[in-house]
This record gives sequence, structure tokens and C-alpha cells, in this order.
Amino acid sequence: MTFNPLEQRGIPLDRQLRNWRELNVDPIDPDRCDPYTRCRIITMNGIEVEAILFSHQLARHTPDPEIKRQLARTRYIEAQQQKAVNWLLPGVSSVLETTIAYEQVAVDLTAWVARMEPDPYLKQAYEFGVLEDFDHLYRYANLYEMIEHRKAESIVDNLTEVMPGRPTKYHHRNPVDNVRDPYDRNVAHPLSKLHALTIMSTEQQTMNFYMNTGPTYMEPIARQLYQEIGLIEEEHVTHYESLVDPGETWWEQLVNHEYNECYLYYSFMQQESDPKVKAIWELHLNMELEHLHTACDLMRRHDGREPQEVLAPELPNVLTFEPNKQYLRELLDTQMDLTTLGAGYVREAHERFEKLQEQIHGGEQPPSERVMAQHDDMFGREYRVQSEGEHPDPAMREK
Amino acid sequence: MSELHTPHAGDDYAPDDDVVALLKRQHGDIRNLFDEVEACTGAERQDAFRRLVRLLAVHETAEQEVVHPYARHAFPGGEQIVEDRLAEEKTAKETLAEMDEMDTEDPTFMPRLVKLRTDVQEHARAEERYEFTHIYRNADAKTLATMAKAVKAAEAMAPTRPHPGVQTAAANVALGPVAALMDRTKDAVRKAMGEGR
Repeated sequence: MTFNPLEQRGIPLDRQLRNWRELNVDPIDPDRCDPYTRCRIITMNGIEVEAILFSHQLARHTPDPEIKRQLARTRYIEAQQQKAVNWLLPGVSSVLETTIAYEQVAVDLTAWVARMEPDPYLKQAYEFGVLEDFDHLYRYANLYEMIEHRKAESIVDNLTEVMPGRPTKYHHRNPVDNVRDPYDRNVAHPLSKLHALTIMSTEQQTMNFYMNTGPTYMEPIARQLYQEIGLIEEEHVTHYESLVDPGETWWEQLVNHEYNECYLYYSFMQQESDPKVKAIWELHLNMELEHLHTACDLMRRHDGREPQEVLAPELPNVLTFEPNKQYLRELLDTQMDLTTLGAGYVREAHERFEKLQEQIHGGEQPPSERVMAQHDDMFGREYRVQSEGEHPDPAMREK
Repeated sequence: MSELHTPHAGDDYAPDDDVVALLKRQHGDIRNLFDEVEACTGAERQDAFRRLVRLLAVHETAEQEVVHPYARHAFPGGEQIVEDRLAEEKTAKETLAEMDEMDTEDPTFMPRLVKLRTDVQEHARAEERYEFTHIYRNADAKTLATMAKAVKAAEAMAPTRPHPGVQTAAANVALGPVAALMDRTKDAVRKAMGEGR
């Protein structure tokens, strides 16, 4: 039986408020959890943060006080959901450990979305981006071994390989080349809209995380690496947000947000291995169903349209965290040397790209290169996890 | 796990002129040894566990002799921060003493190890966040280097690298019980600190 969120009722909004005891969730054990449980937590935190920020923006563009009040009611519950989800992360984890888990999300979530994306232009956008997150994972993994003497595989657990992607130093592009063309809301597959929203939200959360936690490090190389990769996350948010059709009305966007939350909580509920975490996904799904109905009512009232006109006729195939090693290896073999030009992709370094590269690097090696040099000084080797064999690109094999 | 071996703090090529960086890496070494104990069985587990006990004993003793005394007087509130850390260490040390002579095949071994791991990890993060941050803020480069030297002197007291089983038995006898090892570590640290002044 397929699950149709539009036909289900959840928990009435006035019964969704949780007290402190209910919000005081048990964190996962960083040394024993399923790495993909942690990935699902990080993903849903990004989704809830986007829900909150989007609702704030909408409220700021709404003159009607009654609508503001209605948005505030739902948003307060969403803020509680964000707390319940993100507080599943344990206090004993370091920022760097959580960072490596964020990059595992970026790799395996984006790779899955790229594999499932029906639109070739959008698929290319995800394929392009995932090779950059893949390289960030590799750089942070080397920093992690330097600072904490721990291997990233103790976090990603061989579900995700750790080796060079498109080198981080080449991610710095002229900002105008980060803007993509949007899908057309009238013809785009409903799944494409959910994908774009999901990846935009998680990359935005990653950007926020790095921009705020980076300066908590004392080690100069750590501070500098967070600054560099944090700036690339700005590029990624620009890249992914520009895929969304700006012609969608505020109410249509609100409905898409709520529908996507139902889709993701439903997806994660299906595959969650940790029963306590699964109970949270189930509870939140039941809350989201009501948020969706409220959003649908607002859309009918203000747009004079039926939400069914913009939504999928049924919930798409569940979004899944699973290894994407072979798929990533194909991309490593074929798309390493891509960069963007305008809204497209090219293989040659063009003038605008080279100009920005020259300006930002200032004739020196960037932190993402220096971290590798410093790691080599300390251990006489790199840190990689190549469980499926040597790097597909001969130029990227360890010297 | 991959075949890559992460050497213990002091055995890599880091300059080791900063006690905070050194101890943070040692926290990772301890966590790695917990992983190793959990991952193997039989004689290998016994061997890994002996190495873990020794590293923990030496590490905690070095902290008590080197960084805690400094932290007590180096900044306002240091006294209380150190008291909190000592309380955490006491819990861990008690569990450690109970487990010192334990057979790793004992059915109560793993639950105790998990408890010890949790206590040790929470203690390590608390040190990094509430004590080391202040040390870093208050100590000059020379002090950080002197303290690093003392911690390294402590490490030399107990080999914590893997070695074949036959040697392990002999090495264990030579090292004696944890309490004696801690005493000898204290002496070594005090000697190193004396030289540094």
C-alpha cells in the first residue's frame, strides 16, 4: 500500500507541544551507532532548520497578523522538532567528528539523489557537487587523524570510501558561475522538487555549521580549513538553491517544504535501525502530516489552487542511506576535471575561473593542500580508505 | 578497519612542543585501544587490554602530575575545574583497578569495559573543553613545551605498542601492577619537570 500524506491525518497541532522531559532525548552512542542513523539525524536537522528559516522569511513577507500567528504556531513546533532531532547527537563527539559525519551525509545523500534524479540537468548538478563533498571528507579525515589520532573509518565505518575527489583548491569559482538554471515548476517531476529542496537544506545546514564551529578550533590549520571549506559551502548553497524554480509562490513553497518533511520522515522511519530514533521519526511524521494540511489550507486560500496540482500523486520511492561506492567511482573516473561556466559545465579552466583562483589563493597553497602536507610531516603518509581498490583516476593515486 | 596504523602520541613526527595537542592525540590513542580490545578475542584481547590499562594509567598519572597542578593556579576557577576532573578520574581509576587483574573472557568484562569507556571518554572531552582551553589561553610556549616533555617522560615508563604474546607476559611481570606503574610514572614525571625548571 502506498502512503499518501494528503490522505492521512496526524496529531492535531494543539497536542504537539512537548515538555522538557519529552524533549530530553537520549543521545546516540558515537562508538556503537549505525553511521547511517547519525546521517539521518544530521539530514533531518538540516531539514528542520530550513523549515524554521523558511517560515521566518515567509512571516517577514506577510502583512496579515492572523497568518503570522498561524505560522508562528507551526514554527514553534518545528523548533521543538529541530531540538529533539539535533539533540540526538552526543556531547562527547568533537566538532571534527560531527563534521566528518556531515560530509558522509553530503556524499551518500547527494549520490543517492543523483542516482534517482529523473532530470538530466539536475542530475548533473548533483554529480558535480558530490565530487566536491567527497574531497572535503578526505581533507577533514586527514585533519582528524592529526588532531585526535583517530581514523575517519571509526565514524563512516567503511560504508563510504575516503580518498581524493575533485581537489578542494579547484572548488573556488567565480560566484556567477555557481548560479544554475532552475527547473520549470510546471513540468518538473515532483521528485525533482523534493530532491532540490533536500540537498539545498542539508548544504545550507553544513554551511551554517562550518561558519559557526570553525573558529572554536585552536589549531591554526583546523581554523583555516574550516574557513576554506565553509566558503565552498556558500558556493554549494548558491548552486543548489538556484535549481529551485523562483516562480513558485510562497504558499506553494510552503506546501513543498511540508510535503518533503513527510517524505523524509516516512523514508527514514522505514529504514531506521535504532528503535528510539525510529520512534522519533514516526512521531515527527505524525506531526508533519498536520503541518502539511495547514500549509495546504493556506495555499488553497491564498493561491486559489489545489495542492494536488503541484504535488506528486503518491509518495515517491523512499530516500535511502546506503553505500554508493561504485557510483562514486564512476564519477571519479569521468568528472574530476569539470568546472562550471555560466549555468553549464566545461572541462577547461576558463579565464573567469583562473582569475578568481589567482585572487583567492594569492600565490600560496590553500589550507586544503597544507593540511595534507602537515599530515604527511606527522605520519609520512596520507589517510585514505580505499576499500574497493586503488583510486580510479591514476593522477590521484598516492605517491 | 584499514591496515593503516596510527602511531601513539610521541611516536609520530609531531614536534610535541605543546602539551595540549599531545594529550588530545593521546585521548584518541586511548579510544583506539578501546576499539582494539572490543574488536579482538582471546589472547589478543588480553594483550590489547593490558596495553590499554597501561596507557590509561600512565596518561592519567601524567595529567595529575603535570597539567592539573598547573591548571589549579594558572587561572581563576582552576581549583574547581581540577576538582571536577579528579572526581571523574577517580571513578575511572576505580573501575580500572577492579579490572586490572581481570580475565578478558570473564562474562562481566565487556559490560565493565563499556562503562569504563564511557567514563573515560566523558572525562577526556571535559578536560579538553573546560581545562585544556584555559591552559592554552594562559600558558606561554615554553610552559606548554616543558609540560609536553614531562608527559613524554611518563609515556616512556610503559610500552603500549603491540608485541607478541610471549614477550607480553614477561613485560607484564616486569611492569608489575597498575598501582606500582603509577608510582614509577610519578617519579619519572617529577624528575622531568625538575629538569625543565
